[in-house]
Amino acid sequence: MSPEPVLLPFPERLDADPRDLRRSVLGQARGSTVVLDLSGVPALDEVAAARLLRLAAEGRAAGIDVRLAGLSEDARRLLADVDPGVLEEDLASPKIRNPLEMIGAGTLDAIDTAASVSTLVKDTAFGVARPFGKKGIRWDRTLEQMALVGADAVPIVVFISFLVGAVLALNGAAQLRQFGAAIFIANLVGISMTREMGPLITAVIVAGRTGSAIAAEIGSMVVSEEIDAMRTMAISPVRFLVVPKVLALALVMPLLTTLSNAAGILGGYLVGIAALQLSSDAYVSQTVQSLFLNDVITGLAKSVVFAVLIGFVGVYKGLSVRGGPEAVGRATTSSVVTSIILCIVANAAFTALFYFTE
Amino acid sequence: MSADAPKLLAVENVVAGYGDRRILDGVSFTVDRGEILVILGGSGSGKSTTLRTIVGLLPPLEGRVLIRGRDVNAAEPAERDEILRDVGMAFQSAALLNSMTVADNVALPMIEHWNLDRDTALMLARMRLASVGLARAGEKLPSELSGGMRKRAGLARALALEPSLLLFDEPSAGLDPITARELDDLILSLKARRDMGIVTVTHELGSINTIADRAVMLAEGKVVAAGTLTEVRANPHPLVQAFFRREALPPREGEKTLLEELEWRP
Repeated sequence: MSPEPVLLPFPERLDADPRDLRRSVLGQARGSTVVLDLSGVPALDEVAAARLLRLAAEGRAAGIDVRLAGLSEDARRLLADVDPGVLEEDLASPKIRNPLEMIGAGTLDAIDTAASVSTLVKDTAFGVARPFGKKGIRWDRTLEQMALVGADAVPIVVFISFLVGAVLALNGAAQLRQFGAAIFIANLVGISMTREMGPLITAVIVAGRTGSAIAAEIGSMVVSEEIDAMRTMAISPVRFLVVPKVLALALVMPLLTTLSNAAGILGGYLVGIAALQLSSDAYVSQTVQSLFLNDVITGLAKSVVFAVLIGFVGVYKGLSVRGGPEAVGRATTSSVVTSIILCIVANAAFTALFYFTE
Repeated sequence: MSADAPKLLAVENVVAGYGDRRILDGVSFTVDRGEILVILGGSGSGKSTTLRTIVGLLPPLEGRVLIRGRDVNAAEPAERDEILRDVGMAFQSAALLNSMTVADNVALPMIEHWNLDRDTALMLARMRLASVGLARAGEKLPSELSGGMRKRAGLARALALEPSLLLFDEPSAGLDPITARELDDLILSLKARRDMGIVTVTHELGSINTIADRAVMLAEGKVVAAGTLTEVRANPHPLVQAFFRREALPPREGEKTLLEELEWRP
C-alpha cells in the first residue's frame, strides 16, 4: 500500500449525494490508501454506516485501502459488533465482456443445452422402446395423462378451430365472390385446416395448456425435491414422469388435430350455407373432392412432431428450474414461448419440404 | 460381522461442490449396522450436502462413497439402483410427491422395485405408516399433513424397502419439542428393532444427546471432530466447544475486528 495516504474529509451529511465522495475514493490509484476523516461528523446512523462500509468494500474490491479516522464513540459502538466479513462481499461490478467472449459463452451454453436435451431424448427413447414389462412404460400414468392432455382439451380445441374455420371462410368469400367462385371456399377451408391450420392451432393450444402445465409441474417437483426423492428411491424420473407425458402427447395430438380439422371445416361449412347461400350438398361435395388423403396424413404427421416438441420443451424447462417459485414461473412462460416458436419453425420447414418435393 | 467385512457406509475423502464452489473438502467417516451417526455443524457447513453425496445426487469431485463396499457413483445404472434400494433417505422437507396420497407415496417404491400389485403395496404402506404413528393418514394428501406428520410420512417412505442404511436430514428442524422427541424415539426404536445404520443431520442439541452413538462435526466442509459423542464433546476445537455450550463463536486467532481493519493508525 502507498505510504502516503490520501486524506478525504467525510461530509457531515452523507444522505444528500454520496456520489462525489465515492468518485473521489474510487478515483484513486490502485494500491493507494484513502483515509476518510470523520472528525467533522457529529453522529453516524446505521444508514450512513452502511454507506460508509459499502464504500470501504468497493474500495477494497478496486484495490484501494479505505481507512477511517476521527471516529466518535457513537460511531465506534455502532461498528464494534459488525462482522468484518461484510467487507469481503463480492462487489466487483459486472465485467463488460467483449463480443468474442460473449459468443464463446453463448456457444458453451448452447452445447450444454444440446447435451442435456439429447440425454433427455435418448433416455425417453429408451423408455418408449420398452413398452411392457417391469421396467416398461407406465401405461396407467400414460392413460391418466392422455385424459388430461387430450379429453380435457377437446372443448377448447373444437371451439377455437370452429371459429378459425368460419373466419377463413368469411375472409375467403370476400375475394372469391368477386369471381363467382364462392364454392371454392370449401377448398380453401378444407385444405388450409387439414394441412396447416388444424395442426398449428392444436399445437398452440396444447403448448399453452399442456406444455406450460408440464413445465410448472416438473419445475415445482424440482423445487420441492420430489425429483431428488425419486432418484434416491432408484425410480427414474424419465420413466415415471417424462415418458408418460411425451407419449400421451404424441398419441392424442393427432386425435385432437383431427377434431380441430373437423371443427374448422364445420365452421367454414356453416358460413358457406348460412352467410353465402351455398348449397349444403355442393359444399360437402366440393370439400370431399378437394381433400386428398395425403393432405390429412401430412397434417397428422406434423401434429406428432409438434407434440414431441411441446413435450420435450415442457419437460426440459421444468427439469432446468433452479431456485424457487419465481423460477417455476419463468420456466412455464419460457416453455410456452419456446414451444410455439419451435412448432412454427417446424411447420415452415415441413411446408417448404412438401412444396419442393411434391 | 467379521473384521474385514465392508462397512455399511464408508465416506472416503469426499470433495464435493456446485460449480467452482467446494462444499465438502476431504470428508471421511464410516457407519456400521446398529449405530447412529449424527453429522453436526452450523448452517452451511456441508451437512445436507454430505447426505446428497452419499445417495449420488451430488457426485463427489474426489474421493468415494462405498455402501457395503460398493461405490455408488462408479456403479453402472442397474447396480447403482440396487445399491440405492438398500438406502432410505428422509428429506428435511419430506419431499413427498404432492400429487399422490401419503399411502401411494409410501407404496410407490414397493410397486416399482418389489413388483407388488397396488393393493398389497398399499396395505404394506399402511403398515409402514402405522409403524411411524400415521396409521390413519394414508388417504390424505401431503398438503393436508402437519410438518411433523410430513416428516414421519417421509420416514415411512424411506423405510418402505426395509433398507439397511437410513439417512435422515434434520429430523427435528422446525418441530415442537414434543414432536421432535417423538421422532428421536422413533429413530432409536428403528435402530433397535431393525439393526439399521442411521445417519442423521442435525444441530439440535437435545436430539444429539438423545440419539447419537457417534458424531462427526463439520465446519466449512471439513471434519473438525469425530468419534463417540463423549469424544467429540471433549474435542478442544473452538467450534466444537462453542457448539455444545451454545455460545457465539470466539474470533479466530489473528482475526481482526471491523474497527481494527478499518481504523487508520498512522
